[in-house]
Amino acid sequence: MYNSEVRGRLITGDKSLGQISREIIAPIHAKTPVWWYFAVLVGLIMFGIGGYSIFLTLTKGIGMWGVNNTVAWGWAIINFVWWIGIGHAGTAFSIFLLILRQKWRTAINRAAEAMTVVAVFCASLFPLMHMGRPWLFFYIFPYPNTRGPLWVNFNSPLFWDFVAISAYLLISASFWYFGMLPDFATIRDTAKSKIKKTVYGIFAFGWTGSSREWLRFEGLSFVLGGIAAVLVVSVHSIVSTDFAVSVEVGWHTTIFPPYFVVGAIFSGFAMVLTLVVIMRGLYKMNDFITDSHIDAVCRVLIFISLIMGTAYLTEIFMAWYSGSQYEIYMFFHNRLTGEYAFQFWAMFVSNAVIPQLFWFKGMRRRMWVVFVISIIINIGMWFERFNIVVTSLSRDYLPSTWASYSPTWVEIGFFVGTLGMFITGVLLFFRFVPMIAISELKSVAKFDKQRNENLKHNDHE
Amino acid sequence: MNKDYILGVFKDEESLVSAFDKVKEKGVLPLEVYTPYPVHEILEGMGNKTRITYAAFFYGVFVAIGILSFLTYAASISWSLNYGGKPFNSFPSFIVVTIVATILSITILTLLTFSIRSKIFPGKVPEIYHERATDDRFVMVIDKKSMGANTEAINSIITEYGEIE
Repeated sequence: MYNSEVRGRLITGDKSLGQISREIIAPIHAKTPVWWYFAVLVGLIMFGIGGYSIFLTLTKGIGMWGVNNTVAWGWAIINFVWWIGIGHAGTAFSIFLLILRQKWRTAINRAAEAMTVVAVFCASLFPLMHMGRPWLFFYIFPYPNTRGPLWVNFNSPLFWDFVAISAYLLISASFWYFGMLPDFATIRDTAKSKIKKTVYGIFAFGWTGSSREWLRFEGLSFVLGGIAAVLVVSVHSIVSTDFAVSVEVGWHTTIFPPYFVVGAIFSGFAMVLTLVVIMRGLYKMNDFITDSHIDAVCRVLIFISLIMGTAYLTEIFMAWYSGSQYEIYMFFHNRLTGEYAFQFWAMFVSNAVIPQLFWFKGMRRRMWVVFVISIIINIGMWFERFNIVVTSLSRDYLPSTWASYSPTWVEIGFFVGTLGMFITGVLLFFRFVPMIAISELKSVAKFDKQRNENLKHNDHE
Repeated sequence: MNKDYILGVFKDEESLVSAFDKVKEKGVLPLEVYTPYPVHEILEGMGNKTRITYAAFFYGVFVAIGILSFLTYAASISWSLNYGGKPFNSFPSFIVVTIVATILSITILTLLTFSIRSKIFPGKVPEIYHERATDDRFVMVIDKKSMGANTEAINSIITEYGEIE
């Protein structure tokens, strides 16, 4: 049983259950603020730039990108891995923290899951466009066809990746949606306007909160939580095998799966932190997402940051210890000091050094510091993917094939487009969906009550 | 109002659970209890069981066998292609797709089961006894007929902890 006297209050401000619903639903009923329209406009403009870049890519081909024969994977794959990494927050928050019985997750998991769905969707666009002829996308489905040897290779990580990403998108979207049913019902039953009652009524699927529904709902969450826990680890492990199974210097290492998974959770948590700081600032959710919630996420980030630092150092150490001249060249001459040394050091400082500031309580308490560091981590994680993809490809075994890579504006535009899509998606989420899981928050509200000790101790949670 | 049930409306979980226990002691089981969040004492006390976890397990077993069989059949019997001289039946690398696709299938099938069994689907018109049961009230629906001789006693239990509506 959660003891709020020892571990701090989960919700501040002594709220009744009714207040919790009202305050979380408030942004949905309130008049849309002007900044929201402005931000959506910015998001849509960025999305438009992306749309135009995609149009150019489709009509003129991959030649519009800066990739070449040597560096065949450029920004597209970097951004793909980056978005997928960010998309790990949803399951990490909902599932890992659920398994670890962290009650504070209830205030954050909804936002993390929403972010996951949008981020994974953004990610999936990159491999699709990188196919060059995305209208032949369906070739990747293993169905009986007349294409002869043009058939799916079940041993290829690229096929595993396709299965993993589509599964991850579908599962996290349904997990998110079914978790919202009780909250949609709350909106339906508390809304004054008829239109809202009808629309949210349709979304609520006729939820009433009866004991039979809750019983099966709990069973469902148990099953989905249990099996989706595998996905937190499997998805990015599979992404990492896209790299690790190829005989490429700097990629062909067994450290890749855990290294990628930890990195994914790192960037996911950082993006969640960005998002909840914004939620606190713009929607005044401070009573639900308290200072101690932010504190908890920051502490997790310190820990993950240390793992990241260890992973970077391990890679460098192993390159030296292996005695392989290619590995030594890759790490000591190419990454640490070569053409892309800036990206390497940007990655190292942003991911392994700067987050160490969170050791200080003063840093964890200042929201602007937390916000800035969370952004720095996301930039650092982007550089990590750049570092992996570009340095290894640009300097392979044969010096005559060496080449440099820099993106064209079409690639940059494509990335900007997905950022715009993410911004728009998150803003729509803020505006039309309860951004905190109301029913889950209510179920932990009792731990803050004075009569805490009167509650029975056979509670399962 | 011509109703054949009464509503016990409570403001918090403790009152609901205390009243629920006392009503049950009188030998009366409420028709249904509506709460804003799951209350485990009630879920257990109502005596319903869900087999959704067993269903999920069996879906998993059958789907996993099915997918693994399909991969093996396609790769080594029906349409064997030579990828750099590797064995046609390269079993360990089939595990990845099997696991991921199994998880996806379990999720979809269990959601469908949930939807069908709980009758939760888009467009359903809910039967709402109390507007605030999804907000901040805990509502117990008791059939008048089932109360019989205990009517007085049950009414007083409910009024002790909450209200009758």
